[in-house]
This record gives sequence, structure tokens and C-alpha cells, in this order.
Amino acid sequence: MGRFVIRRTLYAIVTLFILSLTIFTVIRLTGDPVTLLAEPGARAEDLDRIRAEWGLDQPLPVQYFSFLKNIATGELGKSFNYEMPVSTLYFQRLPNSLELAFAATLISFLIGIPAGLISAVKVNSAWDSAGKVIALFGLAVPGFWLGLVMILVFSVWLGWLPTSGQGGWQHLIMPAVALGWYFAASLLRLTRSSMLEVMRSEYIKLARLKGLPGYVVIALHAFKNALIPVLTLAGVNLVVMINAAVIIEVIFAWPGIGRLLYEGIFQRDFPLVQGVVMEAGIMIVVINLTIDILYAYIDPRIRLTT
Amino acid sequence: MVLAWHTNIAARWLDPQQHDGTASPDNFLMALHDGLTKNFRDNKFDHSALAEAHEFASDSTSATFRLRRGIKFHDGSPVTPADVKWSYQHYRGAWGDVLNAKTEAIELTDDNTVVFHFKEPFPDFPILLGTANVCGAGWVVPARYYEQVGPQGFVQKPIGAGPYKLVSQEPGLKLEFEATEDYYRPVHIKHLTMVSVPEAATRVAMLERGEADIIYNVPGELIDRIKSNPKLMLAPVLSANFWLEFPGFQDAKNPFHDKRVRQAVSLAIDRKAMNEAECAGLGQIDGNWINDDVVYGIDWPQWPHDPAKAKQLLAEAGYPDGFNVDWVTPIPDYFSRGERTVSMLRKIGIRGKLQVMERGVFLKRLQSGLTAWQGVQIILNAARVGGTWSSWYDSYMKCGGFNGRDRNCVPELDAAFARYLAATELEQRRGLAEQIQREILENYYFVPVFRHAAMQAIGSRIAATKWQDVFPTVTTAYAYPWEDIELKA
Repeated sequence: MGRFVIRRTLYAIVTLFILSLTIFTVIRLTGDPVTLLAEPGARAEDLDRIRAEWGLDQPLPVQYFSFLKNIATGELGKSFNYEMPVSTLYFQRLPNSLELAFAATLISFLIGIPAGLISAVKVNSAWDSAGKVIALFGLAVPGFWLGLVMILVFSVWLGWLPTSGQGGWQHLIMPAVALGWYFAASLLRLTRSSMLEVMRSEYIKLARLKGLPGYVVIALHAFKNALIPVLTLAGVNLVVMINAAVIIEVIFAWPGIGRLLYEGIFQRDFPLVQGVVMEAGIMIVVINLTIDILYAYIDPRIRLTT
Repeated sequence: MVLAWHTNIAARWLDPQQHDGTASPDNFLMALHDGLTKNFRDNKFDHSALAEAHEFASDSTSATFRLRRGIKFHDGSPVTPADVKWSYQHYRGAWGDVLNAKTEAIELTDDNTVVFHFKEPFPDFPILLGTANVCGAGWVVPARYYEQVGPQGFVQKPIGAGPYKLVSQEPGLKLEFEATEDYYRPVHIKHLTMVSVPEAATRVAMLERGEADIIYNVPGELIDRIKSNPKLMLAPVLSANFWLEFPGFQDAKNPFHDKRVRQAVSLAIDRKAMNEAECAGLGQIDGNWINDDVVYGIDWPQWPHDPAKAKQLLAEAGYPDGFNVDWVTPIPDYFSRGERTVSMLRKIGIRGKLQVMERGVFLKRLQSGLTAWQGVQIILNAARVGGTWSSWYDSYMKCGGFNGRDRNCVPELDAAFARYLAATELEQRRGLAEQIQREILENYYFVPVFRHAAMQAIGSRIAATKWQDVFPTVTTAYAYPWEDIELKA
């Protein structure tokens, strides 16, 4: 078990190293941020001054090692645009993103899991067809379109909900639905397929042969086991919703991390983009590592075969 | 009052010391800070603000400012001549080097008078000092506080002498202001919120619901929603001028080397159609590529639209079947204007392809000069620069200019421009300014397209009978002066 943990931890470190190198390189391929910092009208001297001020006159390897050193010390550099530490900005926005992501996850659970369950139990019925339609719409209808339509209907026409921003629970409804909609569809599909697979297994047949009532078989035996991959996906979805709900946060002017990332990209704010991507990467890698270790702890076959 | 701003709010916009030489800081400086002199309604740069009186020496070698009595910063400390001197001397934003190089000394002659002495005649000084979207050196910050907290501390908790003080901010997202009680002019609205809402449809929805009172940047497809709502008011504020450039036209092998070809391009452009399609006809079709609200910017008659004559000129120039252009590149994000240009040119046989770039890349390539614009190219460029016509020429046309580099070099014009800069007689300066602009236009070095309207909108709570009540000035596209805007009773 110890060797398994060490090996997995090393993989995680290598993954983060590759991520750091990739994000550092790719963002610099997009051009010189000083042209956006200064905007047109500023003169060459102003650009040189800004370049020196932000250390952008240093060679790239020096900039990269400075970036790595900052990560190692928990400091992600200072945002060009906000003139504040990136970690401060990130953790200022994190509670807002968590609020939105948990609400969206709840919505995706409330829609996706029951609908997937019904689809699987009533396979090839009208219920199943309805579930398929919901899944298709969820995956096909873009969140931004849904968000804009909801603003028009529920804010402008009906006047029920505020258009945007953060405040009470009313502010949370539309962005959470728009964000959770897609994930609800993916959960629906996975719940359905996972349930169908479990329902075909031998132990379910045995449970039925033993004469257990259908709802007991489904609720106690099938659903619990079918839920394992669903919850794994939900965990990854949650991390994505926390860190990359870019479009939904922009449409609803929600002050979260996705919007912070958007602002960083828009302003070519290198430290900000690097910092947000690294934080998201660390979160995903750490969660995956934790899940891997938990799986290995629960099921010894995993640590023997990987 | 709530303003829905169209991008995220950059911290540096709250600090006049970090002015980046563009229009965006204008919106925030005018609320939070105040200058010695400033642009105000019809005054382009010399409205007395913190200075109750100012005098510019007839030989342009000194300028005297007498501060108002009793003016205070938001922390209650008085605005002193020492603050003025410190702000000017420590200013490190756009045009700071020029001011520094030209200034001999700053003298505090008594407890409310500041005199700037220059090493040589400096006729552009009052324009630079008083134009909020060009330079921030004349915008006074509290010296002691600034030194104490430093630039980064200052943008987190800025203190100014403007009509509104900042009471809280969520970096990049929201600014909450309260009216300054002892400002020297009445401030009508007590609470002002500026919130960043990047999505245009959301901004419009906010206005419709009364969640915002003023919004900026309504795109073409949403204009009708504003126009059709009787409670809302569209404010088409004349803003940037658009023009066509022909990088490397100086090269004899370039088709645009021939003046007749450049003239043909001008004749091919249907400016009225462009204005109708892009700005619902609310832009302005003028003849100059330089805005007419800057010092010495000249008026020029509208250019004709005559494709038949354009074809004839092309034939005379040796291109009876037209020719290919490698790329037609519009300034981002005005890609549809580029598409219209391509389509109009195609009708006379100039066959170009649209090239789309991200804004930062485009600006970088502009500043890289001809090496980034090889082959036969057309750029649909645009700018809104305040102050004086010379800022436009210096940046976009002059050999080595910041945004022009070597794309549009005409040494004879640069020689005239050097004479302009050296001239101290106003009439001589005006004459040279007009001569240079005339030569650019008569030779079609640049082909003006139109001056677009920045589409802003006003909500139902604002007390305004016409949009000009909220956007009264010619020098900024933003709502202003903040202290004069009122809500309905």
C-alpha cells in the first residue's frame, strides 16, 4: 500500500509539473501582455517601464523558475491587472464559486439521478424516451443560450428573478440551473447505463429469485452499486464547476473563479491565468489522488494491478 | 445609481498616477479624483477644476495655477500645492517622460499657488494636463497617503478629491461610491455603484428591469430592444474614427503606391451603408480620419461613393481587372466592418480576404511595423485620442510613431510635423497642422470611413430629457460629469 501511495503521488507531481510547463509556455505564445496592459496610445517608453516593473524583461527560464518557486511557497504571483496576489484573488472568489457549484451540483443530482434511475427501471418505455430526450437536450443546449433565455423570460418578461450578480438565493437560481443543466444530462446518462449494467448482474438476479420486492432490489442492491461511478463523475464535475464555469459566470456577472479566469485571459494577465489553472489542476490532481488511494484501500485488487 | 460597465474593472484605472493614455480611466477618474484643469462639457481641456484660476504664459514657458480655498481629499486632508507638485513629479503614466523632460522646475509661490516652469516653449502642456483620457499628471493625489501606502495600496483604497469617495470595492467587479459632502460643486446622487457586467444582453436586461441606470456598449443586435422600449433612452455618443491604411504603400511594387488606386478604394466605400448597418445610422460620416473635437482637427467634406469611377481609376492605374489583396484586417472586435469593407472592395475588383485577430495580437502587430504586414494589405484601423490632432499623427502616421512605425511613413509630412512641434506662434502651428492633415487626405494616405457611435443607454430612473444630459461632453464617450446626473424625484 505504501509503495502504491508513493507511486501515485509521484505521478501526481509529474502531472503538475507538466501542467505548469504547459500553461507557462502556452500563455506566452499568445503574445506580449504589455500591449494589453498599456493599450494603444501609450508610448514605447511606457511599455518598457511596465515590462521591467512586472519582470517580463527577464529571460523565459528565469520567469519560469520564479513561477515554480512561487507555487512551491504557495504564492502564485501578483496579478497584472488587479495588482494583488493571485492567491488572494483566488480565495476571495472561491466561496462564490463553491456556492454556485454546490447549487448546480444539487440541481444536477435532483434532475439527473432520478431521471436516470427511472429510465433504467422503465427501460424502453415512454419514461425512458423522455429521459433520453432530457439527456439529449441537456447535452445539446448550450448553457449560455439557456442562461440568456432564462434572463429574458424570468427576469425581463416575468420579473421574478434578478438578472445577475450575487445576493440572496434568488440570484443563485438561474446560474445554478444553467450550469447544472449540462451536468444533469451527463449524470442522467451515466446513472441509466450504470443501473442497466447492475440490473443485469448475477447478484441482482439472485435477489429477485429470493423473492425480494422490486423496490428493495432497486433501492438497496442495484442503486447503491450503480451510484459509485456516478458519484465519481459528480466529484470531477464539481471541480470543473468550481474552476471553469467561465461562460455562466460571465453571463450572470457571478463573481467566481471562472470569471476570474475569463478576465485573466481577456487581459492576458499571465500570473492570474497561470494561478487559476494551477489551482484548478492541483485541486483535480489531489482529488483524483485521494480517490485512487481510497479505491486501493477499499479494493486491494487495484493496488496489485496498477 | 448603478452603472453597468462593459469589461472588468482594472485596478490601475483608480490611480491617475498610472494613467495608460487611453479613454477607459476617464470614467473612474472623473468620479473619484479631480484635476487642476480638465475637460468639462464643451471645454476640451481648460475647465477650472481644483484650480480656480490658471494662466498659461504667452511664450508657453510657464503655467500658473491657483488652487481653490478649502478643497479637501476624501480623508479630510487639504489639497495643497505640495500635493500638486508631488503628483506631477511622481507621475509615471502616459506622457510622463515628455512632461518630465520639458519641465524645468515647479515653484510653490504661496499657500495656494503652483507655477510650472518649462525648459522651452511647451504649447501642448495645458492640453496634456487637462485631457483626462490622455494623461493623469494634473490629477492630484494626496502625497503623504500615497507615499505611505504605495501604488498597490493606493489602488486598493484610493483617496482622491473628486465628487465621489470610494467606500468599498470587489476587485475587478464592483465599486461602491458615496458622494463627497464638501465637494466644491453639488453632487446630486448620494450613492453610485459601478458594476462590471461583461455580457451585453445581461446589461440590457439589467437596464430593462431597473437594476442598472446607465449601461455602456450596446451591440448592434440589441439596439432595437433599447429603441423600442419607451422607458429607456439610447445614447449614441460619437466616439472612435475608423479609417483604411495601406501598409507599405511607399513601395513602388505595391498597387497602393499609385494614388489613383487609393482614391479608387475611397470611392468604393459606401460609408452611409456602413453607418446604417453598424451603428443604426447614428454614427457620423465625416471626411477626416481625426476626430473634429481635438485641437486643430480639421473638418473635411464627405467622400463620394462612386464605384464606376473607382473602376475607371483602377483601369487607368493599370488594373482593369482589379488585383488581389492578401489580407484585409479590421481592428478587433469590429470584424463585421471588415467584412463589409471586403465586400465593397470586391465590387470594384479589389479581391481581399478577411483576417481576424485577437486584440492583443493586432496591437502587437501594429507596433511591429511593416515586417508584420508583408505583401498587399489593408488595415481597417480606429482610434479615439483626446487632446490634440498631433497625438493622432504622432502615434499613427509619423515614421517611428508608436502605432504606425514604418507602415505609413511620409518623410515630407514628418518634416512639416517637426516644424509644427518647434513652432510657438499659434497661427503658424494651426497652419502646419491643417496643411499636414490636408495632404494626408488629398493623397489618400489614409482613407477615412466613418466615426462610429459608442452605443450607451440610460434607464428610466435617470432625470434626463435627452441623452446629451448624461453624455454632454465631446471628449469622452462616458457619462459625465457624475455630480450633475440626477435621479427622478
